[in-house]
Amino acid sequence: MSRDGSFQGFSRGEARTRTATSLNFDASAGSVLGKLARLPWGFILLVVAMALIGIAMLYSSAHTNPAEQHLWKIQLIRFGVFFIVMLVLAVLPLSWWMNLSWVAYAGTIVLLVLTEVMGVTGGGAQRWLKIGPVAVQPSEFAKLAVTLALARYYHSMLGANGSRFLVHIGAAVIILVPSALVFMQPDLGTTLAIIASGGVVIFLAGLSGRIILGGGAAGIAAVWPVYQFVLEPYQRGRVDTFLAQLFGSSGASTSLGESYQIEQAKIAIGAGGLNGKGYLQGIQSQQDYVPEQHTDFILTVIAEEFGFLGATAILVGFAILLGWSLNTARQANSNFGRFAAAGATATVAFYVVFNVAMVVGLLPVVGMPLPLISYGGTAMLTAMSCFGLILSVYMHRDDKLNTAGLF
Amino acid sequence: MSKSYNPEQEFSRRTLMAGVGGGIVWAGLVARLFQLQILEGEKYDELANENHIKLELAPPRRGRILDRFGKPLASHRRAGRVTVIPEQLNDPAATIASIGSLIDLSDTQVTRVLEDIQRARRRRAAFLPVIVANELTYEDFARMNVHAVELPGVQVEMALTRSYPRGRDFAHVLGYVARASQDDLQRLTEGKTADEAETIDRMFRHPDMRTGRQGMERFAEEWLRGKPGFHKLVTNAAGRVIDQIPDDRLAPEPGKDLFVTIDMDLQRVAIERFEGESGAAVVLDVETGDVLAMVSTPAFDPNDFVNGISGHDYALLRDDTRAPLYPRAHGGVYPPGSTFKIVVATAALETGAIKPTDRVHCNGYYHFGNRTWHCWKHGGHGSMDLHSGIRGSCDVYFYEVARRTGAQAIADTARKFGFGEAWSLGMTGARGGLVPDPEWKLRARKEPWFEGETLNFGIGQGQLGVTPLQLALMTARVASDGAALKPTLIGLGPKDPDKHVLDAPLDPKVIELMQSGMYGVTSEAGGTALRSGDLGLGGPRMAGKSGTAQVRRISQAERDSGIRKGLNIERELRDHALFVAYAPADNPKYACAIVVEHGESGSGAAAPLARDILAYAIRTNSGRRPAWTQSASVVAPADDEEAPA
Repeated sequence: MSRDGSFQGFSRGEARTRTATSLNFDASAGSVLGKLARLPWGFILLVVAMALIGIAMLYSSAHTNPAEQHLWKIQLIRFGVFFIVMLVLAVLPLSWWMNLSWVAYAGTIVLLVLTEVMGVTGGGAQRWLKIGPVAVQPSEFAKLAVTLALARYYHSMLGANGSRFLVHIGAAVIILVPSALVFMQPDLGTTLAIIASGGVVIFLAGLSGRIILGGGAAGIAAVWPVYQFVLEPYQRGRVDTFLAQLFGSSGASTSLGESYQIEQAKIAIGAGGLNGKGYLQGIQSQQDYVPEQHTDFILTVIAEEFGFLGATAILVGFAILLGWSLNTARQANSNFGRFAAAGATATVAFYVVFNVAMVVGLLPVVGMPLPLISYGGTAMLTAMSCFGLILSVYMHRDDKLNTAGLF
Repeated sequence: MSKSYNPEQEFSRRTLMAGVGGGIVWAGLVARLFQLQILEGEKYDELANENHIKLELAPPRRGRILDRFGKPLASHRRAGRVTVIPEQLNDPAATIASIGSLIDLSDTQVTRVLEDIQRARRRRAAFLPVIVANELTYEDFARMNVHAVELPGVQVEMALTRSYPRGRDFAHVLGYVARASQDDLQRLTEGKTADEAETIDRMFRHPDMRTGRQGMERFAEEWLRGKPGFHKLVTNAAGRVIDQIPDDRLAPEPGKDLFVTIDMDLQRVAIERFEGESGAAVVLDVETGDVLAMVSTPAFDPNDFVNGISGHDYALLRDDTRAPLYPRAHGGVYPPGSTFKIVVATAALETGAIKPTDRVHCNGYYHFGNRTWHCWKHGGHGSMDLHSGIRGSCDVYFYEVARRTGAQAIADTARKFGFGEAWSLGMTGARGGLVPDPEWKLRARKEPWFEGETLNFGIGQGQLGVTPLQLALMTARVASDGAALKPTLIGLGPKDPDKHVLDAPLDPKVIELMQSGMYGVTSEAGGTALRSGDLGLGGPRMAGKSGTAQVRRISQAERDSGIRKGLNIERELRDHALFVAYAPADNPKYACAIVVEHGESGSGAAAPLARDILAYAIRTNSGRRPAWTQSASVVAPADDEEAPA
């Protein structure tokens, strides 16, 4: 495989197409069954394994609590449904994704506005929108929608002449509009995740190094004003707690509020040691010491019951999934495919990074689930959709898509 | 950046950069896990353990109280009870109502339980059980057990309860235990350091903890209590106890068993012999001073007090005309009547006021000043000397003897015998009675002593007041030829609280004359209790002295005690019957004093009781070697007892 792109004979896609044709096997127009057979089942098996580990840990964390002991079944059913959704998305041709991109983006903006106007308040923030019997979090859809919109945007704009800087400004607008709406809910974690993964896409699109450095400096300079004037008091509290425990002055208030959660999470993780206490044997985990341990703090259960080896294995699992996804982005033959796969990868990656960093006390508690593992429907749907998109890019990596027209 | 911009190449390059960046972040996360789990793992492991292990004070098992042969008088019983965990109740009132439909709950019980639940919730102690009903019958326990599964938060369990297997028999000796009140806590923490007081305070807040409220239970509190330990409890984040870790080093130290000198069976026989009459009986071992029986009847059942007695039930006891709360044996003050003639005669002989052979003629009455005193026997006894005067209990003879001896000498001798002094022996409610003398009268009544009072004194009436225990001591002193004697009730336990001993010298020659007189009472023609002298054991006889006490004074004393109320006037007017005796007459082993309230005749009502009780003591050898001097095996708790959970 050419790393520096100096081989100019065929494009890589053409080479594979020729090979497939010579084997009398039509890659682009095969039956659905044929497509399914060609799915990367190793990747899919790893996704299933991670989700099943999550369900097992969910059982461990909640089985002693009568109100929560049935949750693992709900999660199992959800995973089954979303697994099928992922496979359906995987066989969707990329042109369909492209055609859906702007619609999804516009729809998400509408939903976010609706949430702002008539959403349901939960956990102090207006994040939920009730559509019939289903409550959804449009901010979760926003991650995927922004990814698709950016991919669609760069697909048409990168080839065009003109100021590349202005192109990137356009991408920034695509990111910031939904981000601002999510931030108003307020949902700091999701806002940061959208901006971060969007930022990664802009970076991959070739934003100049100088601008990145300048933007980084401006971002650092903006930290204090944002903290002081933009954040809600409860968000400031989380940051304060985080800084306090990071610099070791949390001893005075270990039993209260946010700090309690971080402290108990650290105790649970630390108590796991190298090998852990064994499944269903965690002292902290079995006795509900860590608040939200079946959702955002599920990693504490894994770390306590399976130790450093178990927690590291989860991280390695994600690393394999994300590394493969990033490579899929590189292999794609269209800009849309590249940016869609990379954006989806970045989305999942930031979920993992934010969640793990928060649980191990390296980031403030921002309310971010661990994809595939944490209990919760919307987050799992987002993650599975991202994997579905990545798989679709993989399946259609050789497709050359029409670049004409932004819409 | 390459000069000719190629989006595909640039994307590939930057993807690698992003991948490397991601790898660095991942490595950072793993490093953090390494720091928390491997480098600091031990610290957090300790924190996790501290988090969930709570030390809860565990009450010690209270020591038992055993009789002289090791039979339990105060012990523990496993009793079924129903408790609720307040935090697990959605609707306490409904749950209690459901329990009430299964077992009998009074309205006051329901109100109390609901208050307790509310208090527990206010104190954020809603995970600790609240007792709904104690002492379930077997049927109730079984029924509750079956239905408890349908009632979340309701527990049916067996618990150890202080128990008095002999019920009323030892109520006034043992007293009873109860939940510590504010007054109790103040008494128990008096003179302790702040730390000790804090421990005591915490310990007695435990629902299973009891303190001695009366009697030996109260006196021997520290001996019986033991030392509290701790339960290692595993709790969850909500503080709810989910498990218990055994740890012998933290186990509570049980209280020590206490032996009393009483023979449980003798006590029972004595009570039965009263046949429902009210009164008191005290039996002493003549050689050792051991109290072998200490009867006050009727009595209350101390078991009723252990879990708190209802106001209504307590009022019934308090207002009972037969005064079951009144500790007659050591706290009942009676005029000794003619039994006191032993003291008068001893005083007369010791001071030389009379010689044993001095004769006094009794024609039924005695003139002194401008008044006439009567002998109990109409027509008189005729010519009396010391022996016949005691034998026939001639009042006229003792009017003369008392007049010649003088009140002061009689009072002094009475005190040598132990009268006028409270002998608690470790029980509550002991009283000293009153030995009057001229100095006392001047001080208390602001009047000089009238010589007529000396005559009353001589036959055991007037201001004089004694307890049955004091009469038994007097008798034991006579039976032991005047030996120094210390009455004891505690065989193995804390030190006897009474400082004084009966070691003031008594002239053995004088005492021998008293013995002879008392033998005459039961065994010679003209003796007042001739019919009761034979113990029915084919030989041994008892020696004794009867007495009849006018009740006017005693009812005054009883009113002073504040315990008796609403006495039946007709019954009240009848005289008390008294009898003191020892046996066998020729080689005394046991001495006793009997009071049958309103029994009218000492020789008729009280002497037969003395005879039967002494006969039983001799037959069963009550005074034989006690258990606490033998092997320790007797002391080991019985199998059915366990440390409180």
